[in-house]
Amino acid sequence: MPVSLTPNAITAIHDGDVNLKPLLQVLEIKMIGRSQERSQERYRFLISDGVSAQHAMVAVQLNDRVKSGQFEKGSIVQLIDYICSDVKGRKLIVVLNMETIVQQSETIGNPTIFGETDTEAQKTFSGTGNIPPPNRVVFNEPMVQHSVNRAPPRGVNIQNQANNTPSFRPSVQPSYQPPASYRNHGPIMKNEAPARVIPIAALNPYQGRWAIKARVTAKGDIRRYNNAKGDGKVFSFDLLDYDGGEIRVTCFNALVDRFYDVTEVGKVYLISKGSLKPAQKNFNHLKNEWEIFLESTSTVELCPDEDGSIPKQQFSFRPISDIENAENNTILDVIGVVTSVNPSVPILRKNGMETHRRILNLKDESGKAVEVTLWGEFCNRDGRQLEEMVDSAFHPVLAIKAGKVSDFSGKSVGTISSTQLFINPDFPEAHKLRTWFDYGGKDTASFSISRDTMPGGVSRNEIRKNVSQIKEEGLGRSDKPDWITVKATISFIKTDSFCYTACPLMIGDKQCNKKVTRSGTNRWLCDRCNQESDECDYRYLLQVQIQDHTGLTWITAFQETGEEIMGCPAKKLYAMKYELEKEEEFAEIVRDRLFHQYMLKLKIKEESYGDEQRVKMTVVKVDKVNYTSESKYMLDLLVR
Amino acid sequence: MDTSSPAAFVNGALLRRYIGQKVRAVIQVIRSDVGSVIGKSTDDQQIVVKGSPQPPLTTYLEVIGIAETDNTIRAEVWTNFGDSFDVQNYNELCKLANGEFRHLFI
Repeated sequence: MPVSLTPNAITAIHDGDVNLKPLLQVLEIKMIGRSQERSQERYRFLISDGVSAQHAMVAVQLNDRVKSGQFEKGSIVQLIDYICSDVKGRKLIVVLNMETIVQQSETIGNPTIFGETDTEAQKTFSGTGNIPPPNRVVFNEPMVQHSVNRAPPRGVNIQNQANNTPSFRPSVQPSYQPPASYRNHGPIMKNEAPARVIPIAALNPYQGRWAIKARVTAKGDIRRYNNAKGDGKVFSFDLLDYDGGEIRVTCFNALVDRFYDVTEVGKVYLISKGSLKPAQKNFNHLKNEWEIFLESTSTVELCPDEDGSIPKQQFSFRPISDIENAENNTILDVIGVVTSVNPSVPILRKNGMETHRRILNLKDESGKAVEVTLWGEFCNRDGRQLEEMVDSAFHPVLAIKAGKVSDFSGKSVGTISSTQLFINPDFPEAHKLRTWFDYGGKDTASFSISRDTMPGGVSRNEIRKNVSQIKEEGLGRSDKPDWITVKATISFIKTDSFCYTACPLMIGDKQCNKKVTRSGTNRWLCDRCNQESDECDYRYLLQVQIQDHTGLTWITAFQETGEEIMGCPAKKLYAMKYELEKEEEFAEIVRDRLFHQYMLKLKIKEESYGDEQRVKMTVVKVDKVNYTSESKYMLDLLVR
Repeated sequence: MDTSSPAAFVNGALLRRYIGQKVRAVIQVIRSDVGSVIGKSTDDQQIVVKGSPQPPLTTYLEVIGIAETDNTIRAEVWTNFGDSFDVQNYNELCKLANGEFRHLFI
């Protein structure tokens, strides 16, 4: 198939034409080594329009396609999304998306490298500009852009991205105008043309001139700090652009005064100049690895002519059932119906400051419910509004942008400073939930993932195992101990040594409890306290054999659990056996403790004694079997 | 164990399947009359249990006897089951013992 390359495409790109979508030929593919700071490899193509050739950096999201051989030397490609930026006075093409038109072709024409060699510029650029691949589903809905990690709701028109290629709309790009055309008039000429508006996703620290057009989706309060360099203040705000790119902007001190009042949540701004630094991931949860730091030359201008093409807010709602498996401290978006709101209560924080806390319950179509903890200002402002609604028997829909997952008791979601709450928001997800709730969802039972008790009194966090599973599943072998519960019967108790002599001295408000030995003066010596005492305490160190229908194992019980199992203090048993020598009575008590069934919570951890590895199982809690809840538990297993 | 005449676990709804046969049911006592006890089955139906149990009766009773009609049992054995008893679990047991797991019960 004869294909002709787009004539003069390289020149046109240099002049800033980003809508050309030219056909070009790949003359060379080179992998630029991993840079030191970021282990991200990049590819550089030499692309030709048949007359001129020019190096182009390929955005990292295309790396997989390069590796899989979709583009090769000689391939004729169509550039779909690309930008041409200035790097130290030189032009550099960055390709964001392209398609192969002809896989293999002879070199067309006799291209020469455009302008001078770009080696200098390339050097500075190698291994740079990581453009994070947007990974989301975009709804064709004008104001609010959602990305939802579950099956799309019926009736909502989704432009589904089958793969992770960026969703830059190819045909029209209303928010990016081609730049004013200008030419190089020589090296000393200052470039006075306004910087071209580029997508947030294309920002990288190696561009000198850039501008972005984006909506402020969140704005933080001014925070004052004091460190080695002195006092200072800082605030930041979050931006979202037409393509769904998001980034945080931070400014310090004098810039706070300049920009704090200018920026307003919901408005669209043209922002230009500023340095890009790696995002502080622990504070910044946006899907961008960079963060903009404004400088004195930066400009933030309100766009009066904004047309609503930039979404107000971007959500990626997770169903509540997903939160159950989310890691602690995960930042996520969630939407649900508020079923109850607790009163606001004052809480004393660790640093002595008082704050407020309010807990509410949220449920969604996943059949799960979650506790949401509102902190500080959220308690009064949004919390009160929600409380009044629920008190008047109305259950509002609440969307939470950037809530933090906590695993304190079950899983719950808490607010952080950048969290945003939307009560009865006007978007499809909310309407869908409303309909679900009003037509049945209201009366369906939801399983709370928050409190650690389940109906039937079985602890939600409790992991139920049987005895043989301990060995089969290799419990205790990982870094952390395993905590499990077994329902088992005590079948044997070792009685030759069931307790130890413990130090009764107090260390602070705790008893020492270290093992003491008889000293020469017939008193008890503690190595830890380095003191002697007349009396010693007797504490359980009990070896117990337990069994269930799958097998048997040995466990260790210390003082409290030991007493629970034996039904009397160690001291009493010790006296009976060794001082009063009532062997018969002692044996009777021990026999009496056998063949009772318990719920035993075990801590299982492999420990090494010398070069021997031994799995140590300690009882941390002994409970009588609650037959009602146990029956419920087993019924649940049957019907599942 | 005497397996010659097994007693089927029943609630109010299952009683009619066993008319003329031996059943066992747990009831919540509503009132005692002469020669009978009026009670509530675990699925909330009113049942008349004929016979004269030994007082005192606790809130819950297990009765074993012959199902006479779809709401009467002529009881032979009366057992006090105490004042706290989980009727829901028992009701589920009745359903499973007459349904999915019927083969496990004599």
